[in-house]
Amino acid sequence: MKRWTTKREHQIYSSKLFQALCRSRRTSSSTSAKELHQTADRVLAITAKGTTRWSRAILAAPLTASTNMKKHKKAKVTVHTRLRKPVVNREKRKLPVVERKLRALRRLVPGCRKLSCNNLLEETSDYIAALEMQVRAMTAITEFLSRGEAQVPTDRLGSIGNM
Amino acid sequence: MSGRRSRSKQSSVSSITDDQITDLVSKLQHLIPELRRRRFDKVSTSKVLQETCNYIRSLHREVEDLSDRLSQLLASTDSDSDQAAIIRSLLMQ
Repeated sequence: MKRWTTKREHQIYSSKLFQALCRSRRTSSSTSAKELHQTADRVLAITAKGTTRWSRAILAAPLTASTNMKKHKKAKVTVHTRLRKPVVNREKRKLPVVERKLRALRRLVPGCRKLSCNNLLEETSDYIAALEMQVRAMTAITEFLSRGEAQVPTDRLGSIGNM
Repeated sequence: MSGRRSRSKQSSVSSITDDQITDLVSKLQHLIPELRRRRFDKVSTSKVLQETCNYIRSLHREVEDLSDRLSQLLASTDSDSDQAAIIRSLLMQ
């Protein structure tokens, strides 16, 4: 868990991710945001070196370039309409509020739907720390790329001289 | 919090004990920025779980937005020649 907060890990992840993105850009003409997100998740999972369930689940998931992944998630959420239906009787339902929220948490962390409480804690903490690093790294890449655009001299990138 | 705990005794759905949940919840509280400030307040179990879910979802959204921006930036930048420079900067952050 601590590894996600080190500078070194951040450097490794951001540079690996950037390289992966450049590679995929060479093979296909454009990278959609979804594919990019997927790549970011996979590189993040690889960085975990198979030590956590969520990372293994991400790597085991099939690659999809379309929006199906998102829709799929939404469909799974609506299966639980029986929990949402009677607002009045919510407290008397067989699944009390806490159980429901625990279930929601399990759905958010990859690969943890049937995990016990203790393991869920570990997975959740690790996953949150990893996500935070992912945000920091992707923000850094974005900044460098934006900076690069503004600073690059026109003889290298002919068309950008319009600014 | 003990009043809330006694309600979740139904073991027919899962074999999670009340103690496990309380343990999970108190530890989660330290992870969520929103709740770290209120460390000494008693935050209800369901509130902690709710905030955890909200936090994860907001992190997901942030990554989505970043993916969006990055994919646009990558498409508009011909950064092959700058790649090495960018990687160097990333390794020196």
